[in-house]
Amino acid sequence: MATLSLQHIDKIYDNNVQAVYDFNLEVKDGELIVLVGPSGCGKSTTLRMVAGLEDISNGKLLLDGKDITNAPAKDRDMAMVFQSYALYGHMTIYENMAFSLTLRKENPNVIHKKVLAAAEVLGLTSQLNKKPAQLSGGQRQRVAMGRSIVRNPKVFLFDEPLSNLDAKLRGATRREILLLHKRLKATMLYVTHDQTEALTLADRIVCMSMGHVQQVGTPLELYDSPANIFVASFIGLPPMNFFDVTVSGDKLKGEGFEVSLTPEEKQTLAEYQGKQIVLGVRPENITVGNDIPATVTMNENLGMNTLVHGYIGGNTGVKVTAKLKGWTDYKADDTVSFAFDRKHFFDKETTKAIRGGEL
Amino acid sequence: MTTQDERSIARDRMRFIKNSQSARLCYLGILFDVLYFVNIYKSDVGTYYYNVKIGASIVYNLVFLLAAFLASEGVKNYKKEFSYILFVISALQIVRIFIIPMQAHNATTLVNEVAVSVMNNGQFYRVVIYLVLSAVALLAAAIINLQKSNAIAEHLKSIGETA
Repeated sequence: MATLSLQHIDKIYDNNVQAVYDFNLEVKDGELIVLVGPSGCGKSTTLRMVAGLEDISNGKLLLDGKDITNAPAKDRDMAMVFQSYALYGHMTIYENMAFSLTLRKENPNVIHKKVLAAAEVLGLTSQLNKKPAQLSGGQRQRVAMGRSIVRNPKVFLFDEPLSNLDAKLRGATRREILLLHKRLKATMLYVTHDQTEALTLADRIVCMSMGHVQQVGTPLELYDSPANIFVASFIGLPPMNFFDVTVSGDKLKGEGFEVSLTPEEKQTLAEYQGKQIVLGVRPENITVGNDIPATVTMNENLGMNTLVHGYIGGNTGVKVTAKLKGWTDYKADDTVSFAFDRKHFFDKETTKAIRGGEL
Repeated sequence: MTTQDERSIARDRMRFIKNSQSARLCYLGILFDVLYFVNIYKSDVGTYYYNVKIGASIVYNLVFLLAAFLASEGVKNYKKEFSYILFVISALQIVRIFIIPMQAHNATTLVNEVAVSVMNNGQFYRVVIYLVLSAVALLAAAIINLQKSNAIAEHLKSIGETA
């Protein structure tokens, strides 16, 4: 397998639109990196530049230390799995999986062994004589993966491979990809806009917005210590609640509420005394307490949890969503008191996290 | 890999690969038949061909094309019975030489009150070659398919699968 190094990569289109700005990433051997971000953030463009399907405007791309910035796609020894599967409808699954090797004029018996081995890994052995139209979406995506596996490439590239699947199939196929990665120990780059996929699959996540890398880190780092308000709002479902507050002594004063600071939090915010900051609280870090009164607007029971939506400080106050354990039955206009178990602090001007503030 | 392994893998491949070799030979047989058919009738031989044989030959040719095409699809999937069909239509291609081409080659007809050969030597040899080539292609397709279908049946039996 392989290491991949992306150094100061930019993508500027002919109409001077810049899609990717100064992208830097070192991918270790056997690592699964997930590029995540909203539509139009440049993640697919980055993947396509790695694959050789888009030119790199500036910067360098190294594969195992070898410069492949300008190498054609066919010489990069990378395999890409697309959202649309890109299978040949008139060919059987066997022929689809064998196709790239047949084009390379490999020995048919060697091709046969590789296809059978890949089919075994992916649980497709009994489907090899079928046509793609006879398979479900998940099976088709597995065929697309199988077509990559038989090539034994240095790097696997996945461009939103699960987006065409329904929720149940997506979960199952996601687990299969994870098992596949563990079995192949392959270097993989995976693009998705789904943060659940990112959190469950990735060794490390690259979170992008507007062509810029916002944060690179393990899923836990991105969830626990988001670098800025964008990452904090993008990672986590439902998204983090944000409140404009003023640091005042050992309290944070917001619109219609006050929150006490622990000594450690006060220490972290020492430079911000008297200033406005952004307080971030994840819905799952809100419990029923007696600190912050809120008016309920909606109660969504999810089984194990309940999402309670409301306003802090009356109906014109700040929106808040709490993810409470168990089954609750609040009605609209009920009053409930919340407590914030865990807080994240962000600089209001730079939107960056105030480090040391996460406890 | 030993030769034995290679042979075993090649047989296993047949489970997933169609018998395109036989199918292509069938298409070749059809092609030569079409060439025969477009070359058989000359227009300047008066009323020689105006009898029931011309209709029968057209109908038979349609039946041949249909049978050969169906057989090409059958042999693709290693169906043994289509080999027997190919044996029959291959033999009939040889028999056809002795019906219209041979009779026309031996016959004369009056054109503008001049006796002319219905089918000259050049045309006769040409159509005979087309029919022979068609027969050979179909025969080869049948033999190859027979061998392969036996081999795959044996292989499937050895791995405990049914066809």
